[in-house]
Amino acid sequence: MIKFHPSARQLSDFVEGTLSPAISLMVSAHCDMCEKCQRRVEIETESLAAEMVSSVSAKMDNTIDTSFQFGDMLSQITALPSGKQSDFGSYCEVEHQEPFKKDNSRRLQANVSTIELDGRSFTLPRTLHRYIDKTGNWSSLVGKLWQAPVDLGNQGVANFIFMGSGGSVPEHTHRGTEYTLVIDGEFSDGLGRYDTGDFIFMDGEKTHTPRAEGKEGCLVFSIVDQPLHFTSGLARLLNPFSHLFFR
Amino acid sequence: MLVGIPLEQSNSTIKPKECATEMSDYLVAVADTRCKRSFARVFNYFAPRLRSYALKQMGNEALAMELVQDTMSNVWQKAHLFNSEKGSPSTWIFTIARNIRFDMLRKLQNRKEDVCSDDLWPVLCEQTADANETSLDEQVTLEQIGFMFESLPAKQKAVVEAIYIDGKSQQEVADELSIPLGTVKSRTRLALQRLKVMLNDND
Repeated sequence: MIKFHPSARQLSDFVEGTLSPAISLMVSAHCDMCEKCQRRVEIETESLAAEMVSSVSAKMDNTIDTSFQFGDMLSQITALPSGKQSDFGSYCEVEHQEPFKKDNSRRLQANVSTIELDGRSFTLPRTLHRYIDKTGNWSSLVGKLWQAPVDLGNQGVANFIFMGSGGSVPEHTHRGTEYTLVIDGEFSDGLGRYDTGDFIFMDGEKTHTPRAEGKEGCLVFSIVDQPLHFTSGLARLLNPFSHLFFR
Repeated sequence: MLVGIPLEQSNSTIKPKECATEMSDYLVAVADTRCKRSFARVFNYFAPRLRSYALKQMGNEALAMELVQDTMSNVWQKAHLFNSEKGSPSTWIFTIARNIRFDMLRKLQNRKEDVCSDDLWPVLCEQTADANETSLDEQVTLEQIGFMFESLPAKQKAVVEAIYIDGKSQQEVADELSIPLGTVKSRTRLALQRLKVMLNDND
């Protein structure tokens, strides 16, 4: 059962479109899995829409100048063709809606919704489907950890991290913020137990040791804005290199 | 042209709920009949509101007007995607505006390729209308459809061809082929179902 959700502030920034794109991806993917947050998003959207509708200020919107501009705009818009193609209905529709999205990689990947590791296949939430073809190869990290980087362009790198059964990330804290979404499985970190769909954010104030205890291991999607800082034992030796992984 | 409807006055006294129903009806009219008059009503109500909202968010008159224009163009062209059961017209239009603003800001920063609004809020994507429906390949080409069409059984193919390519009505097809109207309908349905299955398997 999902117990960890984005904060009210994160959700409302997400709905408003002001949350950072990388974190928006996490929130959106969480909502794909969490009906409760879907509902919260709907309510927030309705309330922001209501705010927009009431946001007209009389002093600047009834000027002759704006009326003229709006008049022009209206006739330009109604001169546009319909975006709907009735022959074969919706089958061709999508191509019309998104003429700018015709590159081949998307064409090939459009129906892929899973990633694979070690013969296992994991179904991803809808939001992440487009990032499957931007996901690099799996590489082995310390312990029973596997990592595959996801290129988010200018937004930096996210990672799929798979913790094999009993696998663990050494105790660490964060200089920046770590966002983790549990895609499949469960893990605990000394602070809490997390299940599929949970949305977890950690900042510099918390130290934790993620560990997958279930038999099946655990796949998470993670974004870290600063390298991790390991806090105990031999793992401290990793610190000089931690920017190379767990980014 | 403003089509003779003064900004604001016509709507300012209407209660939100009645307004939603009214706007919803106009959107349906736009979707069904490309009714410019209905669109003008929607436009006159929302454009000034979108403009002040955008101005507040972006602080730039030109960008705000661009946002209004892009948003209302989408409303005009994609009114058929509005579904009153899923939310009010203002919610729908707000989400379109929000998405456009999100992508505009990314474009201004030359970052449009990394994360786009469709990933986060697929409000204008037909294939997400039903979450349980397998998404059709986004980019099925006409050739592929043609190929699939060729593989339909001859009777279904004849009906689909007459209706979708020659543009005949179902009744005309029934008369022409001397078969009952119900048969035309069921053949059409079967053919479309079959095409849909082929499209889904097309990955």
